[in-house]
Amino acid sequence: MKVQISNGMFMALIINMIYAKAIGVTQGSMAREVGGDIWISTLIATIQGGVIMFLVIFVIRRMPEGDLIDQSARILGKWFGKFVALITFIFFLAAYGPVMSTFVFHLKDYFLPEAPTLLFILAAFLIGTYAIYFGVEVIARMALIGVFSIIALNILLMLGSLSEFDIRELRPTFQMGFLRTVWASRHHNTDWAMATIMAGIILPMVANKETWGKMGFAGIGYGMVFIIMWPILEAGVLSPETAAQYIVSCMQMARSAQIGYFVHRYEMIMIAFFALSILTQIMMSLLCASVAMQKILGLKDYRKVILPTAIILHAFGYWINFDKNRAVDFLEGWWVYISIGVAVGLPFLILVMGFFFKKKLKKEVVAEEAK
Amino acid sequence: MKRYLKWSLLLIIILLLTGCAGKRELNDLALVMAVGIDKGEEENSFKVTAQIARPADARGQTGAPSGQTGEPILTIVGQGESLFDAIRDLSSFTTRNVFWAHNQVIVINEDLAKDGIAQVIDFFTRNPELRMRTWVVITPEKASTLVSTVTGLELIPGEAVNKLFRYGEISNVAPNTQIMDVQAAYLSQSSQPIIARVTLKEVMVSNKKPEKGPTIKQVDLAGAGVFQEDRLVGILKPEETRALMLFTERLQSGVVTTPCTSKPERTISVELRDQMFQVTPHFKGSQISFTAEFDSLAVVVEAGCPFSIDDQEQVTEVEKAVEKKLKKEIETTVNKVQKEYKTDVLELGKVFHNDYPGYWKQVADDWEEVFPTVDIKVSVNVEIKDSVLLWEETNSGKKENSAN
Repeated sequence: MKVQISNGMFMALIINMIYAKAIGVTQGSMAREVGGDIWISTLIATIQGGVIMFLVIFVIRRMPEGDLIDQSARILGKWFGKFVALITFIFFLAAYGPVMSTFVFHLKDYFLPEAPTLLFILAAFLIGTYAIYFGVEVIARMALIGVFSIIALNILLMLGSLSEFDIRELRPTFQMGFLRTVWASRHHNTDWAMATIMAGIILPMVANKETWGKMGFAGIGYGMVFIIMWPILEAGVLSPETAAQYIVSCMQMARSAQIGYFVHRYEMIMIAFFALSILTQIMMSLLCASVAMQKILGLKDYRKVILPTAIILHAFGYWINFDKNRAVDFLEGWWVYISIGVAVGLPFLILVMGFFFKKKLKKEVVAEEAK
Repeated sequence: MKRYLKWSLLLIIILLLTGCAGKRELNDLALVMAVGIDKGEEENSFKVTAQIARPADARGQTGAPSGQTGEPILTIVGQGESLFDAIRDLSSFTTRNVFWAHNQVIVINEDLAKDGIAQVIDFFTRNPELRMRTWVVITPEKASTLVSTVTGLELIPGEAVNKLFRYGEISNVAPNTQIMDVQAAYLSQSSQPIIARVTLKEVMVSNKKPEKGPTIKQVDLAGAGVFQEDRLVGILKPEETRALMLFTERLQSGVVTTPCTSKPERTISVELRDQMFQVTPHFKGSQISFTAEFDSLAVVVEAGCPFSIDDQEQVTEVEKAVEKKLKKEIETTVNKVQKEYKTDVLELGKVFHNDYPGYWKQVADDWEEVFPTVDIKVSVNVEIKDSVLLWEETNSGKKENSAN
């Protein structure tokens, strides 16, 4: 029987997929460019992410039984399908750099500075490969719990930091100008890119096709609500200059939070509650990359390629994160162009091709439904 | 084959995911409770004094000390060309791993602060072990002396300073400066850092020689240090610090004592409650100015002369006297900071930037020169609305009888 996940699980996957990196690593990058306006850049990126998500859902709806790769194969043949699969694989391979940066920087820098980077890469390798062996349903169920831990983390952090909040740090708005604020949103766009391309792979597994759009937007909406609190607090509590100083500004935020005299230093609380989100990122990136690899090789099951895919992705993740300068350069440079290029270009290309080969696609869909 | 694979995978998972990497056992740690930083003996070097708790002798509520050393703390000094170097030096004679996560206070000697504390800010915000809510203070004493002075009811001096700040809100004599505040002010384009100042003061009476009066030195909150970027450029006295804190913190209450109008040798004390302080910037014809408005409800908490809240004439007199005193306090501090120290610790640049972002860009680079020239008008409004429990004046009954 074909694996299916509920619409709620799909929404939870979107939220978890963006949350872990968006609240800290992304905000640090944006603060270096626009200071206290990071919350505006976050909002702008969310709107852009919504548009791309709409595009992906629209494209998949034309042939609901197949993902982006399957649809391209139906439109322009097997080799075009393989080409799209390769692009998707490269996307998730590149995504694994920033995903591993988020994972490694949180754990190594704030908890185990003396532990080797390889240890974290191996831990991600073991957990990731084990999880995706059981499929998307298991990950999606975990993501549902992840949403609750995100809510718990947000509430705790708000309680621990509101006393230090200074609204003046958020004023005036558009300090660096409107265009620069929009341009800075590209860093958060990369997070949305991961969620949208993931949606392009797993949407056919989501049960109720009629509500895909609704749930996709709900995921974006809730994701924005959970994330937007962070740039506002990071600027208002830490100050924009301090947020800009750190690579992982959310951990600095957690380090500065305190409830009463006994509950302070939220690093551990933060890691406990955001673990499911970062694990979802790891697992879904691995899963989507494995599915892409399976389709490149023309196999029937992605499980056969989990190990080689995981080795490639983790080797890349290790290489990127072995040198912090390389890691930050990649996530603020190359990754931005790769992710936005693929997230916008790929669905758009398939959309356009679909219009040109409308009849062929319709015929394929009818044949698929007849099966 | 599959079985072997499963078992070897399980073994790898056990080795990697048990969380043993980087572990540090509690009884292997030397818990630093306070750190003092002085200038080192050699030029451009640092002397770091770490106050380490002896858990066995720092007894809690449940039992007597078991360490038998009689000393709840161990104070050690390390020297080096950098702070990191000096701290590394500490580990050459401590028998345990020096652990900074419980550090409560960073004490910086004023001579060192005059040369610049950028390195101190960098070190204590870069290190993941340290808390961002750690108190930072400057002192005219040697930081090493202050760090090892047992104060108040606490056995551990670091804990004592921590509690001084926690409950010091009542006295309003030193700002609550934590390392995260100092870092934010230092990194800010418009504001300058302030740091609480502590001294050693003979305020404790020896139980063995009470006749000698207070002879034992204790840590005392004593105003604030004013910085220009990372260099200490001036000191505000405790009575001046209260006015400074109106600009930088959210003060809820305060006390003002003023002479009675009927008997100037006696005083009347008023507690200010629900304080509101608002700074408004103005920009007219390329001239920057500010108005600072202070509004507060007040309660008469002590009267050395007869006072009744029913006597509205007397209430108005006291209100005027309190307003005058407060206005003078604020103006003195503003003047000192603006004309003498010429450094914007009042966060006026930030306020101006908020309301006039366009003009701020024009003056941002020259704010250091512009700040001493801006006009700051202070207005104070105090309304006495309560006299706690008493309605009638506190008068001698005998006098009343004789009058009758």
